[in-house]
Amino acid sequence: MIDFLNYLINGSLVGLLYALIAMGFIVIYRASKVFNMAQGELVVFGGFIVWWMVIQTGLPLLLALALAMVLSALFGLVIERIFFSRLVGESAFAMVMVTIGLLILIRGLILVMFGPQVRPFPIVFPLKPVIIGDILIPRSLLIGAVITVVVGLGLSWFFNNTRAGLKMTAVAEDHQVALSMGISVKRSIAFAWALGAVLSTLGAIIYLSGKSLNFLASDIGLSALPVALLAGFESIAGVLLAGLIVGAIQGLVTAYVDPVIGGAVGSVFPFVIMLAILFIRPTGMFGWRTIERV
Amino acid sequence: MDPAGIFATSFARDAALVRTRPQRVALALFLVFLLLLPVLFGPRLLAISTLILISSVIVLGLQITTGYAGQINLGQAAFMGVGAYTTGVLATKLGLPFWLTIPLGGCAAAAFGFIFGLSAVRIKGFYLALTTIAAQALFHFFVLNLPWFGGSNGLTLDPATLFGFAFETDTSIYYLCLAVAALMTYGAYGIVRGRFGRAFVAVRDDDVAAGIMGIDVVATKATAFLIGAFYAGVGGGLWAYFVRFVAVDQFTLFNSIWFIAMIIVGGMGSITGALVGVVVIKCIQEGFVSLGPSIVTQFPSIGGDVVFALMNVFLGSVIAAFLIFEPRGLMHRFDILKRSYRMWPFPY
Repeated sequence: MIDFLNYLINGSLVGLLYALIAMGFIVIYRASKVFNMAQGELVVFGGFIVWWMVIQTGLPLLLALALAMVLSALFGLVIERIFFSRLVGESAFAMVMVTIGLLILIRGLILVMFGPQVRPFPIVFPLKPVIIGDILIPRSLLIGAVITVVVGLGLSWFFNNTRAGLKMTAVAEDHQVALSMGISVKRSIAFAWALGAVLSTLGAIIYLSGKSLNFLASDIGLSALPVALLAGFESIAGVLLAGLIVGAIQGLVTAYVDPVIGGAVGSVFPFVIMLAILFIRPTGMFGWRTIERV
Repeated sequence: MDPAGIFATSFARDAALVRTRPQRVALALFLVFLLLLPVLFGPRLLAISTLILISSVIVLGLQITTGYAGQINLGQAAFMGVGAYTTGVLATKLGLPFWLTIPLGGCAAAAFGFIFGLSAVRIKGFYLALTTIAAQALFHFFVLNLPWFGGSNGLTLDPATLFGFAFETDTSIYYLCLAVAALMTYGAYGIVRGRFGRAFVAVRDDDVAAGIMGIDVVATKATAFLIGAFYAGVGGGLWAYFVRFVAVDQFTLFNSIWFIAMIIVGGMGSITGALVGVVVIKCIQEGFVSLGPSIVTQFPSIGGDVVFALMNVFLGSVIAAFLIFEPRGLMHRFDILKRSYRMWPFPY
């Protein structure tokens, strides 16, 4: 029973980490209608910025983290300025393709700037796990989960209740309509990418704290995909619930099915969930249902 | 369109793929060049040419799925892997000859791709692309965990043989790939100008309108995946006989992304464009690889892995630049040029 609780809680916390990464996807989609294939690359880039600020420059930890956030926001703005400000009103197909180009480009940039070596990531959160009774919880995941919930609820409020957030929602609905209502699509996309990059960096800090970092860590972007899909690409608060569900299932499957089959069922199971969602309810739990008109 | 003054006087003439005498001469010269290539080039260039031929087959399939039918496919490398593994298993475990294993590999890949294409019943747009990412993940899982595929050790193949002749040397495998690639290219031209090809283009441009015109949209999308995956499987089979070693890390999501890059650069919605894209991207890649060492000796401060990384930066920028400035690729530019000189001296 204690084992079961351990797996369940740790799985859920990992799921919340996925939810944070997935939030990067969703924020960019929610404010610009761009589905960002390069999310994992953004996470790794954010991770390297943090590594560089903390370990190479030797600044105090909190200052370095804050500077890293600012830098990644700037990076997001640069991406928007170079690529997406030229693509306002283009088809979703073209946008997805550009993010695929971006994926190759950012990976190359990471290799040029930071090299392919494995780097030690700074220990942002204490390594000592939290122990409640017989349950053992990694501290970084616990703190990360709290941050994720706070950020998720805050962003959800922002997008659904403030004027600025609703403007961006209109952009996600349709670029042309938003433009004709006097909403600046460019500013919305710029904000989306800055926020997406900052969330990715935050995700990188929680994911990598005390671990090692190299460019292959970008796989987390793919693992977060099923979470975003289960929630529906438009729902920011829903992603928290989706993260808990996917994480808990994955944790339990890894613990109980993997030893039986003797393989990595746990790592592939989110994709099975993803296929199931796509077949049963492609808009996810809280996504918008769109009606197609000719 | 045809040059001024050329009119088709018979149906056969109107349906012909090669329409004018200069085209016929150019095609013949190009084929002679391809046939003489092993004599003209050294072993390294020959190996690159073989790789280009294999990639061409795979990218042709992707061109049909993505360029013609408009379905983003991020699983082409997985489909290629299914073909390669099927070929490998049939050749090593059952000892079938290559002229059976390669088509069967194509069929296995087509079946695998068709399953994901069928999800078009429920979903459309980039949600469909997401199922192909799942295809990539599931492919890795199945290969590593099912007992027949050699797990993480991979499979080792014997060379392909035909009537006692073994395709062991680089030259012979080049000719094998050339023959298959030529056949598949001819097939691709046939598919895209026939009924299926026109249905693909209609679905790509507006699937609601295509449905109203009486096209079965779901069946068309599933067929596009079927054909595209078949091409990938055949390419995978060739790959298996070329490298004679099949391992799961040869078929990653990143490879699929490279294939997409090739059709973007070459031009979406053009068979010739797919071939051009493969040649351009492969040449740039190989250029970086072969120039890399000399650059490093000239400027030792740069370091070897930076050159490889610079290739990614360069190609990533190229792809983005194409999408922003010329979304229809190199072939579209060439078509504009051709059209203007054929029209000359008339403006239109």
